[in-house]
Amino acid sequence: MSGVRVAAGQGTDVWVHEGPRLLADLEHGPGLAVHRRRSNGRQPWPTSGWELAELLEAVDLRGRGGAAFPLARKVRTAAKARGRPVVVVNAAEGEPASSKDSTLMLLKPHLVLDGAQLVAQAIGADTIHVVVPGERPSVQAGVRTAMADRADADPVPMSLHRAECRFVAGESSAVLELLSGRPNLPVTTSRPSAVSGLGGRPTVLSNAETYAQAALLARDGVDAYCSVGTPAEPGTRLLTIDGDGDRPTVLEVAHGTRLAPLLAAADADADNGLLLGGYHGTWLPPAAVADLTVSAMSMIEAGAAIGAGVMLPLRAGACPIRRTAVVVGYLAGESANRCGPCKFGLPALAHAVRDLALGAVRSSERIVQLMDAVERRGACHHPDGTTRSIRSMLRAFPLEVEMHLSGSCTAAAVAVPAGAW
Amino acid sequence: MSASTRAPDPARQQLTVDWQSCDGHGLCAEILPELVHLDEWHFPVVQRAVPKELERLARAAVVACPKLALKITKP
Repeated sequence: MSGVRVAAGQGTDVWVHEGPRLLADLEHGPGLAVHRRRSNGRQPWPTSGWELAELLEAVDLRGRGGAAFPLARKVRTAAKARGRPVVVVNAAEGEPASSKDSTLMLLKPHLVLDGAQLVAQAIGADTIHVVVPGERPSVQAGVRTAMADRADADPVPMSLHRAECRFVAGESSAVLELLSGRPNLPVTTSRPSAVSGLGGRPTVLSNAETYAQAALLARDGVDAYCSVGTPAEPGTRLLTIDGDGDRPTVLEVAHGTRLAPLLAAADADADNGLLLGGYHGTWLPPAAVADLTVSAMSMIEAGAAIGAGVMLPLRAGACPIRRTAVVVGYLAGESANRCGPCKFGLPALAHAVRDLALGAVRSSERIVQLMDAVERRGACHHPDGTTRSIRSMLRAFPLEVEMHLSGSCTAAAVAVPAGAW
Repeated sequence: MSASTRAPDPARQQLTVDWQSCDGHGLCAEILPELVHLDEWHFPVVQRAVPKELERLARAAVVACPKLALKITKP
């Protein structure tokens, strides 16, 4: 499989496989001239919010940032809400395990920006804000160049913003706070941003990949868009697969593709389980991974959610309890320290999970007690995402949990390379 | 499941905490122990649905909060 290596990771390079659409023709580079040539023959763009919403609904295009919210509903709501709408492109990929948006912004920035222009023009927005991750400076440089190249031709002006270097910086309310000139942290919101977002104006805020998918759809039409994928989930999706922590792979696959061969293509395997959906995701035991396909339905049936498409497979010889302890330790450190239960509860939870990983406790009661104490008690879902990974660990690996409670570890019997998960 | 995670009854007034404002002063639990107790870090665990007979006390707890972090939302 052909591909390229790009500096899209947090301090690491990312291997990118050539894909059918978003990641097609990588050898031509990210330039505007090539992009425009390839976009020739584009269909007329929808000229109203309603027309665009109908197009998006025809393929059920959902947000690719994790929440899978239908883009058509945001567009329709913002188009009819009071006030001049604003468009926000969220590429602030705060999760270190994810690199798909950074990759897209580096390799195909004009597809994302086309999508943003498409949405902005259809709903009558007067501004597009593009938010890039602070911890990946190459992305900011790449997007700045791309925006400068097309500034003369774009009807809606765009501005570039750099998110702070933290996990929660990409949460949608945190992004709106950043754009409002306040600290880039999540806050409690009472109304959907499509009704009242940035400065009280109707705001369509979506993930970078979502806009790129919308641009492809408008360019190629519904039939072409639906020529890959499944009838229920047409089209493709970006995934980040990271098997050992230092060789992330980004690939674009059609919905319905079996996951296991993709893991192999990314030089990984899930012989010891899979953390599906990233650090806020769900652990699945090896047996559940075998039949999994890249599809929201398949993952829901397995008790997980595809989220932002992050797959963290655990190799044979690595311990899922230890891996979870590392993840929870990281997430506790990433609390914005604003909401009490998160500020105090997550470090306590990290401590309790580490005690389990070390075989230092005889009961998981304290972990359960702390999870109950932090869930749904914060401005954002950071505590809930953290407990999701722990609850699923307890569910997916009952044998390993038992062994740790009696002071041993299955993985410890196998030689684990230094630094491996 | 803690009391705060119980599904709210839409017909009643709801007691909610604005988490980024709450500093854990604990006055709400002093005034309204029927619906609020404190967790191990002294942050409130609230039972969301406010029964009719406690509405007056609930309003008193809301007014007493030094951070204006406790809120009653009307049905």
